[in-house]
Amino acid sequence: MNDLIKLELTRALRNRKFLFFSVLYPSILFLLIAGSASTTEKVSGTGLTLPTYMMVSMASFGALTAVLMGNSERIAKERESGWVRQLRLTTLPGRGYVLAKTASAAVVSLPSIVVVFAVAATVKGVRLDAWQWLALTGSIWAGSLVFAALGVAIGYLATGDAVRPITMITYFGLSILGGLWMPTTTFPQWLQDIARWVPTHAYAALGQAIEQSRAPHIEDIVVLAVFFALFTGGAAWLYRKDTLKA
Amino acid sequence: MPDHAGAAPERGCHRRRYDFCHPAFRTADTAGHTPAATTMVPMTTTPTTPTTATKDSTVTTTTTTRTAGPDVVVFDRVTKAYGDVRAVDGLTLTLHPGETVALLGPNGAGKSTTLDLLLGLKHADSGTVRVFGTGPREAIVAGRVGAMLQSGGLMDEVTVAELVKLACALHPRPYPLSEVLARAGVTRIADRKVDKLSGGQAQRVRFALATAGDSDLIVLDEPTTGMDVSARQAFWATMREQADRGRTVLFATHYLEEADAIADRVLVLHRGRLLADGTAAEIKAKAGARRISFDLPDGPVDETRLRALPFLTTLDVSGRTVRIQSTDADATVHALYGLGVYPRNLEVAGLGLEQAFVAITAAEEARTS
Repeated sequence: MNDLIKLELTRALRNRKFLFFSVLYPSILFLLIAGSASTTEKVSGTGLTLPTYMMVSMASFGALTAVLMGNSERIAKERESGWVRQLRLTTLPGRGYVLAKTASAAVVSLPSIVVVFAVAATVKGVRLDAWQWLALTGSIWAGSLVFAALGVAIGYLATGDAVRPITMITYFGLSILGGLWMPTTTFPQWLQDIARWVPTHAYAALGQAIEQSRAPHIEDIVVLAVFFALFTGGAAWLYRKDTLKA
Repeated sequence: MPDHAGAAPERGCHRRRYDFCHPAFRTADTAGHTPAATTMVPMTTTPTTPTTATKDSTVTTTTTTRTAGPDVVVFDRVTKAYGDVRAVDGLTLTLHPGETVALLGPNGAGKSTTLDLLLGLKHADSGTVRVFGTGPREAIVAGRVGAMLQSGGLMDEVTVAELVKLACALHPRPYPLSEVLARAGVTRIADRKVDKLSGGQAQRVRFALATAGDSDLIVLDEPTTGMDVSARQAFWATMREQADRGRTVLFATHYLEEADAIADRVLVLHRGRLLADGTAAEIKAKAGARRISFDLPDGPVDETRLRALPFLTTLDVSGRTVRIQSTDADATVHALYGLGVYPRNLEVAGLGLEQAFVAITAAEEARTS
């Protein structure tokens, strides 16, 4: 299986469009949103400056891009082309394909997180303790698994033609509703009430709790755990259905 | 009633042809193999043998002349339906080590489903599929099966060499990469991206994937589709070399000349059932027909008299040339002289496999519809 991970990775690193959108795009977006923002003014109700706040949002966004895009579209297309069938004629265990996809996406999502941090620290002078940088990297990276599972589920749900629009709608929906592009505190109240239950909101909230040096909200952890269970369960079910049908 | 008199023997022959070939083929496991070749041993297995275990032990104790071990593939009353359509319907067959077997059948005959069942990509509704005495998946994990699917896609954005290297890495007994590339004839395109290949090239890459390691059974679904004539010949030369190394090769094809030239055993599937099983020569013989053609220098003869010839299945008179298909050419020619007709340029020839195939499946169509 390591060989497949290696090849998936080679291929991901070769795909400039994918690399641009998952590694550079979040940093560019960060500069666009937080570039002219004051480094002292706080985002209401958070105690964090806009650059500090947006740094976590964009790092989460970058990781989301890498794992969601990396999984859903490739899986749907390769199911259609018959590559998935061909792989089933090898010694590779059934789960191996999905695990290799997720592992290679995770390798790409790590630099997308780190690049946003580096840009935020150098350009906007964001300063945190060493443990906070490490904990942020770890939690955003680990949290991206929730969306990797969602990517797998979409990949097994959608056909090759439909996968891109479905992924895009999910991706933008999650990014905007979860407050990755702008703080949810700027939303009207009714939208804030919805955003509370969106997994990307809980995902970014974990990172912001680390920046605020406090324990994460139980609610956010529960929301993430429930969605992780839902997405992996759904992905496993769809995978099995596809395997029996193929 | 000349019409009636003419039609009756033809129908009779049709039925006779069916009677002759069909049950014989259905029980080919017991009878069909006997005259085949010295390497082939009369099978003691029958479709009604209760368990595969018994079957295996019977084979190993009775087939002393066969070099390799037990049966390669055993289908025992396998059925697979999609809704109301039975794609595979009570299929029973056995493949033996070292055989090169062609799987033929009209579109929708169940060839692809049969291969999918063999490879564990689909599961039978009933009956058992055993590959090297285990389930298909176990045989694949043990690296004993290499397969090339018609619908097998390739990973894109990687090079041919990278992809074949992956196949080697996944095989428990891989061949060296350069050897696999060379054998499949893809060394020169090894650095090319997979998504930039022509249909024939992609087909050769699939072949490389199927032969990345030392597998005992190679399964090929329509392997030469998209190849030009020379590529096809090169492909089969490679395949023959594989067979010569003692591998069992099973391929589905719709190029009947390939089956005729390459396979030492031909299976004809029709509506999910095994309609014929034997060597290409046996299939041709049991399709029950030879072609007789001759000229009539003395002018046309009353057609109804020709039509009344024994064992005749088709008659075609164009000008002075007469073409006949007969299930017993000797008797037909004998009777022809008995009519007082003196044929010139008499030729008697066997049917090609293609015509035999058409005859067999058409007879079955006529019987079942």
